[in-house]
Amino acid sequence: MVNAENPSLQTGSPVIATGVSQRFGSNTVLKTIDLNVAPGEVVALLGPSGCGKTTLLRLLAGLSRPTTGSIHIGDQLVADAGGGTFVPPERRSIGMVFQDYALWPHMTVAQNVGFPLEMQNVGSAERDTRIAEALGMVGLAHVADRQPGTLSGGQQQRVALARAIVSRPRLVLFDEPLSNLDRELRESLVVDIASLLRKLGMTAVYVTHDHGEAFAIADRVAILHSGNILQIDAPEQLVGNPSSPIVVDFLKLGLVLPADVQGGDLMIGGGARRLSPPAGLVNGSRSGQLFLPRSALLPSNGGNRVAAGHAISGTVVHSMFRGDGYAVQMRFDNDISLEMFSTTRLGDGTIHDLDISWDRAFWFPHEDVQTDHTHNA
Amino acid sequence: MRLTSLKSRVFGNGGMIFAAVAPVLTLLVAFPLLFVVLQAIFPDIARGIFANPFSRFVETLFDKHLISWTLNTLMLGGSVVLVSALVAVPLGILRGLFRIPFAGLWDVVFLVPFTIPPYIAALGWIMALQPRGYLEQITGLNFGGFLFSFWGVVFVMTLNVFPVVYFAVSRMVASIGGRYLEAARVSGCPPMRSFWRITLPLTTPAIAASLLLVFAMAIEEFGTPAALAARSGFLVLVTGIEQRLSDYPIDLPGASLLSVILVLIAMAAFVLQNRIVSRRDFQTVSGKPGASRPAELGAWRIPVVMFFAVIGFLGAVMPILSVILTASTRTISGGLAADNFSTDNFTEIFANSGGAMEALGTSLSLGLGAALITGILGTMTAYVVVRQRTVSSRILDFLTLMPNTIPGVVVAVGLILAWNQPWLPITPYNTIGILVLAYCCLLLPYPVRYANAALRQVSVSLEDAARVAGAGGIKVFFRILMPLIFPSILAAMLLVFAVAARELVATILLAPIGTRTVALFIWRQFEQGSVGMGMAMSVMAIAITMTIPVAVAIWARKQGRLF
Repeated sequence: MVNAENPSLQTGSPVIATGVSQRFGSNTVLKTIDLNVAPGEVVALLGPSGCGKTTLLRLLAGLSRPTTGSIHIGDQLVADAGGGTFVPPERRSIGMVFQDYALWPHMTVAQNVGFPLEMQNVGSAERDTRIAEALGMVGLAHVADRQPGTLSGGQQQRVALARAIVSRPRLVLFDEPLSNLDRELRESLVVDIASLLRKLGMTAVYVTHDHGEAFAIADRVAILHSGNILQIDAPEQLVGNPSSPIVVDFLKLGLVLPADVQGGDLMIGGGARRLSPPAGLVNGSRSGQLFLPRSALLPSNGGNRVAAGHAISGTVVHSMFRGDGYAVQMRFDNDISLEMFSTTRLGDGTIHDLDISWDRAFWFPHEDVQTDHTHNA
Repeated sequence: MRLTSLKSRVFGNGGMIFAAVAPVLTLLVAFPLLFVVLQAIFPDIARGIFANPFSRFVETLFDKHLISWTLNTLMLGGSVVLVSALVAVPLGILRGLFRIPFAGLWDVVFLVPFTIPPYIAALGWIMALQPRGYLEQITGLNFGGFLFSFWGVVFVMTLNVFPVVYFAVSRMVASIGGRYLEAARVSGCPPMRSFWRITLPLTTPAIAASLLLVFAMAIEEFGTPAALAARSGFLVLVTGIEQRLSDYPIDLPGASLLSVILVLIAMAAFVLQNRIVSRRDFQTVSGKPGASRPAELGAWRIPVVMFFAVIGFLGAVMPILSVILTASTRTISGGLAADNFSTDNFTEIFANSGGAMEALGTSLSLGLGAALITGILGTMTAYVVVRQRTVSSRILDFLTLMPNTIPGVVVAVGLILAWNQPWLPITPYNTIGILVLAYCCLLLPYPVRYANAALRQVSVSLEDAARVAGAGGIKVFFRILMPLIFPSILAAMLLVFAVAARELVATILLAPIGTRTVALFIWRQFEQGSVGMGMAMSVMAIAITMTIPVAVAIWARKQGRLF
């Protein structure tokens, strides 16, 4: 038994997925993936729809079988395509929160929450205590006897959360749990889930397509794209050191400009713009993509910076007042646009030069886009 | 200005539509049903006299037939429910949970019984199972004794109605299958246990609701008990009412009281069914069909497919096969001999023997007329009911949906009583108009319900947007609403056409002398022993009611994205 008062006590198990892939017929939805989750760690699987994140989650849950590879939860081998081992979901000691709540409409809230305990043959007296405790943790002790259909969406998802953690599972899985809720509710619930998981020391895998949600909840975030994990890192690391233009693009971290290298200069848009990076940034490659994070673009001091290839000019599409300043949508070369921040309103249609601080720029050479990159810092 | 305000009164809040529809519905639905009740109380109402109320009431109520027919009705309904449950609940659950080989085929096969009028199916079964029927000719087995018994009626009726339960259960189980079962498995519940704890309890309302529907259908059915059991003296309320009205002396008070009892039983079933369907947990479940992943059957594949095949054969293939065989053999006594096969019966139909072509023409025009009238009336009523939520619109809603609970035989009784009132200046009685009234009253619920559902899908803002864009009320109705809801109304009208074109019991009671419809033709040919021609007509009736909807659906699809 875990003492809720003792936050240091960890109930979560490590999760190790090795060489896991899934194919449906000729359609590969998940390429060979490795994923290690430490005990008590929360990992978010982040990516656009169809990237394979939900597939991976269902493999961890045992709701589908991997085509190749193996999965361990704790010491238990739960799936091994090679050896034919497959442990069904009900014998994996996991909890799961679904996008559409999936509360059973013929049971009360308390019966829903108590169901996993009932399956473990927990006696009714202890069950009642633990149901009350779990409902208390999600702030819904007062709705125990209601039917789930009478609750709001946010409340239903809290009940589903209580059901997922009530039996102190080794692993809790979240399948886009907040995407049916409105923004305000999402933001408050994500904090509640994050702190609850930390308090209980639970291992969790959290699928989402919203990077704000992923950054808010996870110790590490895995970016999935076309069935691959592109990068798995702490949120700070992802933003500060993205591994590929796709990560940059998905997280909207800044400008990505395809460029050819000519005599040390970067030719953008077939030579429409020339930038002169310091030696060493492109590192001998002939073409690639220049990534300029927002922090590398500063209002120009004037002078000949553009002509010298150390600044870039963009057209303001629109400035939106955001309370503490302006979100400015700017359009750059090749119709690439980026939302910038400004303390003053910039007139629509005006052209502004932005100085490039080269020490913050990244270069993704074409030769090996996926893994290697040079950071001139 | 003046014109706009008039238009907005017409279509804006539905006031004028209400004014137009309310009297028509009153005449069509309330008027005949009122007279069923009045007749049961006032024995001399047929002469327009409100004298001696309840004077025959006790006498009729304690009529020994009344009690035995009521019990027979309940017993028949209950038995059909029981056998349907035994057959269709397992089928539906299997279909919903597992990957069944040829699943799509079984769904189509189980739709077939809906397209065969029950009396034709019953006649088909008679040809197959009676002594010296097709089964005996082929296998030497004679099930005649069984067929013409109570359980024979139950057997044939079950095969006609079980698909209602099958489709309701399989759809419900499949929609539970996805998310609710996954949540249970993840919570530590093994497959068998999650079936008992999650799937079955969540399916129970669907099972109960569909079985109540089956019960209502069974107690309202005339053709099957009349064809199979009336001769052996087994009468239910429906066949009893028909007998009271066709055998001399005609007993109007008795028929009315029997009708009231039948309506009360049917209404109880519908009220109960409605209560189950509108329960919250039923609606939350049926609301969102999840992506379910059917499980594999493994070693059970073959027995399960056999189960589907046997029921499919009995429900869809056997009666039609038997009808076709009878239609294409020269004489019944000749049996299934090669030299007995011929197209004589069809030739005779086309040669208008026995007024066959006239009957066909009459039925098709009646079906078309009923479809048009109910389509227009139903759309107007649905518009008032959906857009104008007032007490009066709710009364309209009730009026149009009530015939749903009223058996055809009762509508016929009501029409006879109402339109024979001596004080009426004109009456459609004894003209073909009375049949139009009967079909419209009986089938109005379909267009109303379809149009209702379609209108609810059309957000009011779509109409508002058209108004803002400069369209007047009438333009909005025809340019925005109609294109959006027409496919649904067309579907309902096809259904009305198909059912009206072959309706039996009301037609038997109401058709003016000398008027023949398809159903009457088949029924009389069978009674008179020219079974082959009756069955040839049945083949054509089934073919028409099956192909016209399909043809219209194909045409509608070709019209493009509108549908």
